[in-house]
Amino acid sequence: MDIDLSVTSVRDANAALRALPAGASARLASPAGRHNLAVGLTEAITVEIDGTAGYYAGGLGRDATVLVRGTAGWGAGENLMSGLVRVDGDASQSLGSCAHGGTVVVHGSASLRAGISLKGGTVLVAGDVGDHCGFMAQAGTILIGGDAGRGLGDSLYEAVIYVAGKIRDLGADARIEELAEADVELVARLAKQHGFDHIDPENVTRVASARQLYHWGTP
Amino acid sequence: MCGITALQLRDADLRPRLGELMAAMMAQVAERGPDSAGITIYPDVRVLKGVGHPAALAAEWRLREMAGTQAVAHTRMATESAITAAHCHPFVVGDGLSLVHNGSFANHATIRRELLARGVPFDSDNDSEVAARFLAYRMAEGDGLEKALRLLCERFDGFYTLAVQTPDAFAVVRDVIACKPAIIAETAGWVAMASEYRALAVLPGIAAARVYEPEPEEVYLWTST
Repeated sequence: MDIDLSVTSVRDANAALRALPAGASARLASPAGRHNLAVGLTEAITVEIDGTAGYYAGGLGRDATVLVRGTAGWGAGENLMSGLVRVDGDASQSLGSCAHGGTVVVHGSASLRAGISLKGGTVLVAGDVGDHCGFMAQAGTILIGGDAGRGLGDSLYEAVIYVAGKIRDLGADARIEELAEADVELVARLAKQHGFDHIDPENVTRVASARQLYHWGTP
Repeated sequence: MCGITALQLRDADLRPRLGELMAAMMAQVAERGPDSAGITIYPDVRVLKGVGHPAALAAEWRLREMAGTQAVAHTRMATESAITAAHCHPFVVGDGLSLVHNGSFANHATIRRELLARGVPFDSDNDSEVAARFLAYRMAEGDGLEKALRLLCERFDGFYTLAVQTPDAFAVVRDVIACKPAIIAETAGWVAMASEYRALAVLPGIAAARVYEPEPEEVYLWTST
């Protein structure tokens, strides 16, 4: 299915995508930065966005694969439940925010607050990330192929962040921990799976919570 | 929420189309600010403001027919102060300095009092006017636009994405958290900034443009040719 967004509204396009059966594929042409493309999909379909997407591309999805053939605006893959959102270019702020599951992949760099409040999903960025990546991330994995900005992992809960490049500084309650064999295996698997060939799994920095800001066993 | 669009044309052949391009950009961010809108067009520092939908205002102003070197526009969804033409951005002060703002300042009343004590006049009770007056005051004291914007970052608390133009420059700056959107695109023919990419998507040659997000508290400045 081909949908030209210069003549079809985003609402109608999303309704058409939601009507597709598992295994189907669709292409959205002329996205021109429109918001909310391919959101709330609940079947294992593949959607290709042929250009630059606006806010929340592929958000709220379950099982679907959404491929952005350009850059993406705020909140790409936000609240993802499962499936894949992949951005070929750069992504703006709050990439993969609150994602419960699934994988959000950016082959360029991501802006501020990537993986904010992550709830179990996997966020992978081949390039650099801006400030406050992983802020208050509760569960899940963030892998950064380049450098991280200020306040990395601020107020982190139980998500784990791996950084292949430099870290400008850590946020409150985030600390660098020793890499275990399981970390190396996980990073190697993710890097191979998504073509992040520049990452050496044995030379990433693991950042996790120091667990001083929140209290275990509080009734 | 408000919408900002700004464009500086490096290619003289595009200058007859400035109004057409700005009208198209403003239409893309009308949802961000349907209450009212305003624009300054250079080099004449022509200021147009009004209450109503930005698309209707652009038609009323016959914006598409206007030529120029650069322009900065704002579509407003009021969160602070009344919906009137006087409260519309751009706030144009000093020697043709135009400022548009998406966000809100927390300490504008304090800075207003300080500027009033130094004899700076105000036209409205709007927080964004305080930022414009602050910049104009600093520049009257001898600072350049870039330094004045750095001082603004030090002095003002709150959320802001600002686009500022003077007869010979165009600048963009965001607060330290950068929670208000901004995106910049540059080609050999123009440099543009908008709240959202979709406003840049209407520009000629956007597919080949260098598109990037301005970093927090970094001043981006381009001089006019």
